[in-house]
Amino acid sequence: MLFFSTTVDGLQMGLCFAVLALGVYISYSILDFADLSVDGTFPLGGVVCTIFMLRLGVPPLPAVFLSFFAGFAAGAVTGFLHVKCRISKLLCGIIVMTALLSVTLALTTLLTDNGMTTTIFSYRSQKLTGIFNGALASRFGTAGRDYVILGIELVFVIAVKLLLDLFFKTKLGYMLRATGDNEKLVVTLGKDVGRYQILGLALANGLVAVSGALYAHLYMQYDNSCGSGKVVLALASVIIGLAIFSRVRFVRDTTAVICGAVLYSLCLNYLVLVDSNGIYLKLLNAVLFALILIFHDRITALTARRVNARKGAAA
Amino acid sequence: MIELRKVSKTYNAGTVTEMCLFDGFDLTVADGEFVSVVGSNGSGKTSLLNIICGSMPFDSGTLLLDGKDIAGLKEFERYRRIGRVYQNPAAGTCPHLTILENMSLADNKGKRFGLSRGVNRARRDFYREQLRVVGLGLEDKLDVEVGALSGGQRQAVALIMATLTPVDILILDEHTAALDPHTADIIMEITDRVVREKHLTALMVTHNLRYAVEYGNRLLMLDRGRIVLDKAGAAKESVVTDDLLDIFNRISIECGN
Repeated sequence: MLFFSTTVDGLQMGLCFAVLALGVYISYSILDFADLSVDGTFPLGGVVCTIFMLRLGVPPLPAVFLSFFAGFAAGAVTGFLHVKCRISKLLCGIIVMTALLSVTLALTTLLTDNGMTTTIFSYRSQKLTGIFNGALASRFGTAGRDYVILGIELVFVIAVKLLLDLFFKTKLGYMLRATGDNEKLVVTLGKDVGRYQILGLALANGLVAVSGALYAHLYMQYDNSCGSGKVVLALASVIIGLAIFSRVRFVRDTTAVICGAVLYSLCLNYLVLVDSNGIYLKLLNAVLFALILIFHDRITALTARRVNARKGAAA
Repeated sequence: MIELRKVSKTYNAGTVTEMCLFDGFDLTVADGEFVSVVGSNGSGKTSLLNIICGSMPFDSGTLLLDGKDIAGLKEFERYRRIGRVYQNPAAGTCPHLTILENMSLADNKGKRFGLSRGVNRARRDFYREQLRVVGLGLEDKLDVEVGALSGGQRQAVALIMATLTPVDILILDEHTAALDPHTADIIMEITDRVVREKHLTALMVTHNLRYAVEYGNRLLMLDRGRIVLDKAGAAKESVVTDDLLDIFNRISIECGN
């Protein structure tokens, strides 16, 4: 029974982080930019969404969409620092992540009625119903609620995936892929590489923020520390997903990344079963990631079915 | 037409390693000319290309492309009217995209890359036609990722891509140097055919004296930032590889690659 509920929890978490992983897939895999600002844009999405709902009375779903733009702006700043100020990729991410720690903290002050912050701010409120707690969920009772959440998440994630797939088939999408693949070619095509890097990072962090908003909805709370470790989690999801699934026939990279996020979250949840005190959780987490990186090539070889012909373009 | 007037370029100005490469360098390449540029390492061949394309600034002088001053344009802005094939076969294509996708990117050069479909299926036959000229069977590999092709095949795709849209000048930057002798010959042959069929103006830097002699209709030799030999038309026809070697016995080249 414990195992079963852990699995359900893991799936819920995994689908929530799938959106995060799709964002990092854009920055890490497509743009070849290991973007650390993710640790800051994840809580940013959560707090912005929460403010929209609690302070401005925006309905849950639009509030999630609005959080996209907060992440979009933050990602654009990361891109701007790299492209226009010529700061190295790694440092841009660290700068923006650090700055966002204050930004999200400042934003959380908007959530208290008297405008004061507590030392360890953790906003918990029954008022935050979220997109998962609508009429549909209440009809199914507490047991059915978990499945409704999974269903809504699944629809959401698939919608994001399909939109991304469509986007990467457009001229702009190809240009983003070319930017990560071969910057020189983009230049010889007469286009400014920097513009595409900024746009790609903005898009990536927009998705990360949406994931942060989903996270707030899922756990019905916004916690300022929810961003810590999200870079590692997202990178692990992307790398695992692509290693295991991307070489399987008819599986697109986006699907592979989603599967990776779900798989990794499940593993994390099972680790809690092993280590109930949670003391070694981060260590186990890191070891798991390291093992995957070490056996990366063998995993890929096991699942590789297709040769070099791409399944999508063959028609 | 491309014109360089009184172009000067000094490396590391004001330091002990100061080195004046170009001092009042003049060069005019007329429309339809296919210029081969040879010269030893450090003679200024690559610097010349980089100055034209904007990957390297120069100190003074004028740079005109079709009569317009392009010195103030950024690198990517200049490439709107310039095509370039690099020495490294990987530089001219996207390895993770298929040939079709690469061709589609090149086909859209000079236009907006917006949210319309990236690959226009109606253009497939056109791309096939373009690739067939090469004679490497690439027209049947449209859906293969370019990363899976050999260096020679990639360079052929890069060449076709660079010339798919009209360009004022085609820059060939030692584009056969990284290929084996046989493949290099094939790529050179294809280059010549493409340049002639599309009536391109081309500037080719090469270390291969045989190519410089056999192809193109003008031959330049550079030495320490100066033009020491400039033969065009009939005068160029009479130049043979051995003549070049004699003038130029200090460059390390393997004749015939």
